[in-house]
Amino acid sequence: VNSGQDVTVVGGGIAGCAAAYELAKRDVQVLLLDRALPGCATSASAGGLWPVGESVGLGCGIIYSAAQAADGNAPMSPHVLPEVFRDFLVASNDCFPDLADELLERSGVDIEFAPGRGLLFLMYTLKEQAIVDSIARGLPTGEVMEILSPEDVFDLEPSITRDVVGAALLPGEHQVNPMLLAEAYKRAAIAAGACFLHDTQVTGLRRKKDRVIGVEVGDQFFPCDATINAAGAWSGRLAATAGVELPVFPVRGQVVLTETLPVVLHGGVSTSKCYLTQKSHGEVLIGSTTEHVGFDVSVTRPAIASLCRGAIRTVPMLRDVAVKRVWAGLRPATPDELPILGEVEGVRGIVNATGGFRTGIVAAPLMAQLVAQVVVDAPLSFPIDAFVASRFAKNPFGTSVHSSPDLGRS
Amino acid sequence: MTESSAVIVGAGPAGISVAVTLAECGLQTTVVDENPLAGGQVFRQPPAGFQRAASAVSDSASRRGDELRRRFANLGDRIEFLGNRKVWGLFDSRRLAVANAAGWRMIQAERLVLAPGAYEFVPPFPGWTTPGVMTPGAAQLLAKSMHVLPGKRVLVAGTGPFLLVVANCLHDAGVRVVGVVECTTRSEALKAIPGLLSNLALASQGWRYLRRLRRAGIPIHTGHVILDAQGQEQVERVRFAPCDADWRPDRSRAVTVEVDTLCVGYGFIPRSELAQLAGCDMRWADELGGWIPATSEDGETSVNAVYVAGDGGGVAGALVAEYQGTLVGLHIARQAGAIDEATLQARRREVVRRLKKLRRFRRTLDKLSRVRPGLTELATDDTVVCRCEELTRSEVDIGVDAGCATYRSLKVATRLGMGPCQGRMCWPAMARRVALRTGRSMEQVGLISVRPPIVPMSVGELAEPESAETIRSGGSAT
Repeated sequence: VNSGQDVTVVGGGIAGCAAAYELAKRDVQVLLLDRALPGCATSASAGGLWPVGESVGLGCGIIYSAAQAADGNAPMSPHVLPEVFRDFLVASNDCFPDLADELLERSGVDIEFAPGRGLLFLMYTLKEQAIVDSIARGLPTGEVMEILSPEDVFDLEPSITRDVVGAALLPGEHQVNPMLLAEAYKRAAIAAGACFLHDTQVTGLRRKKDRVIGVEVGDQFFPCDATINAAGAWSGRLAATAGVELPVFPVRGQVVLTETLPVVLHGGVSTSKCYLTQKSHGEVLIGSTTEHVGFDVSVTRPAIASLCRGAIRTVPMLRDVAVKRVWAGLRPATPDELPILGEVEGVRGIVNATGGFRTGIVAAPLMAQLVAQVVVDAPLSFPIDAFVASRFAKNPFGTSVHSSPDLGRS
Repeated sequence: MTESSAVIVGAGPAGISVAVTLAECGLQTTVVDENPLAGGQVFRQPPAGFQRAASAVSDSASRRGDELRRRFANLGDRIEFLGNRKVWGLFDSRRLAVANAAGWRMIQAERLVLAPGAYEFVPPFPGWTTPGVMTPGAAQLLAKSMHVLPGKRVLVAGTGPFLLVVANCLHDAGVRVVGVVECTTRSEALKAIPGLLSNLALASQGWRYLRRLRRAGIPIHTGHVILDAQGQEQVERVRFAPCDADWRPDRSRAVTVEVDTLCVGYGFIPRSELAQLAGCDMRWADELGGWIPATSEDGETSVNAVYVAGDGGGVAGALVAEYQGTLVGLHIARQAGAIDEATLQARRREVVRRLKKLRRFRRTLDKLSRVRPGLTELATDDTVVCRCEELTRSEVDIGVDAGCATYRSLKVATRLGMGPCQGRMCWPAMARRVALRTGRSMEQVGLISVRPPIVPMSVGELAEPESAETIRSGGSAT
């Protein structure tokens, strides 16, 4: 596809909005179709930019692995993703300071990028400390991770319980407002000439021989030169309509949001029970579960209770704070927990921008750039080989850490 | 699963009627309500130790309320009344999370009847957040149940017959009511008289309320609308002006009155949170107050074994609520095998006939109290429209003009509805404004997303395991 040609983006979450912007910026005619389905992962994201934290498993990953261990399914273990993914996330994270300015200028929206003191992983037990030690050994030397004593933790975050054995501080890890990030990308895309159609449920892709030739919305047909699959948890279903097998499945995350509070946390805090981050309007977001329950977006009592207990254990003063709401999103997960980017082997006209799983927000800037570069056939700013869909053809389940019961249904 | 045939949320006329109907058919029910005593808003009982002041207008409604409550009390062995309970969530369509001061627990309902009632509609206008501005319902609650006078000099404003009830109630309580400001124009009211006379009992009741105010020398300004409330610590002055049929004021003819309290309400909005949490299909019904669950005549929603009765399914008043409650009760009794088909049909026919007789009266009133566009134009650029987030109208307009024309998108862009009320207070008025401004329908601008907890709950309360409180019917759901 060359500049000036038509691209349709399916999905108006963070992946789709970011892709629409990067494409429009490169003079591609972009049409984005979105039907805001309940469970859009962007709306249930904490907005933590934790490239190292998530790739070494000290963000949301450890909550899942601790829950698995508690259920007796597996020993709690570090959940370290490939180095190439960590590099990818770090590179994407590095985009944010400039991106915040760029989007503010082009969209007028402040994405609430808040550089703080970094992500703090709290260690309650010696076992957790041992896990952190083994993770630290695998990290490059430098200022990637710092081990803190309980006193250090108290100096940094007086609201946090003193009942810890220590903490790991990841200094480069900040946060944004994920919904405003998507909104900023969207408005910047529109300002650059992209067209957005909301409340539009794409029913399928139309394929002619070895090529996807457009997008179907019921009886309507939108022909295009390339289609971006940014349908989040639904992107496996979308690809299937063109006969493309894409192992993306929904993983539910429930989150709890408190009322607006004065400053109680100066940066993201994660533990093996929950993570907490105070947003710029003062609410504390408590996340998050990792559940394989298909496309069910309901919230559950035990999950809410468990997150709230974890939050109180971490920040005792939260006990008497009012909860504003509880909701859930469906992360687009893949068997090896890496995103799926770029073209599909054997079928032209479809480019993936999906599989953001736990890191869809921090990965968004680079994912979108790569997708746009693939579409306009420009040099790639990061090698994409580890993220293309064809990796699953060699090994259908990738280097799966957890098998997924939903794989076949996605 | 409970041994109750149904769990009923709300003990107003609709909820009581469902429970009484089921109990009279020999079935057990559980009724959950946030108040200590049954009665709901309309038949609210004073707390123990207070004698209810005899209503100066002896109305058939309060007699009906007494009668319903008497039947409710007499059937106590079949009705488990759980007062002082807040429903904070609804899981898997029929598992209620119910809290009281001691803790909370889950109640799995075999059948769930939602009878949550309605809340008052107050569109933003300059000064509406000044202390001393309150809804007529709040003023009535203060005066009637708590024996507290809301103020010394009060103006009652808005639309609908409830204003007359409240003005009378305040007058009886010793408040100086300086006037009633009603949007409906005199000519429109006159045209409605034949329709209102289709139900003589209700029409004469309204007439008696009206006449008592006249006799007390309380002026009734029909065809007028409130412009603003002024004052720093407390309301000091209120301005109102004549309005046209769209309720657009003629500001050049504004009148100022000195008051310390303004009671203002423009009818009622169905409380739809639980229906939305249950996953019921919702529909927009302007004439019934807003978004309501789509139901059959017997109150069945789109969700299996979830029913709606009363104002929560569309605002229509206590009498209709009672009849609807009876229909739901009969339907459930038949489902549970407590009555045979012939009994169901015979009793149902009678209730449906009564509802039909009310239809013309209701339609006339619905048409009169329909919210007009003028109300959405009262706020100025710097009027706070979202009280939780303290957003002004111009801040929301910027979002609308940037292309956000749905609740969801406006919430993201402007934080409208991001507060604890989840948009219940701001969205009914702002949705109308967005619709007018963007030329979209109310269906297109959409409704709020409802998330638990729908009543205030703390992190600590949600972290607690279920309390051990024994609820006869409510075996812990697993």
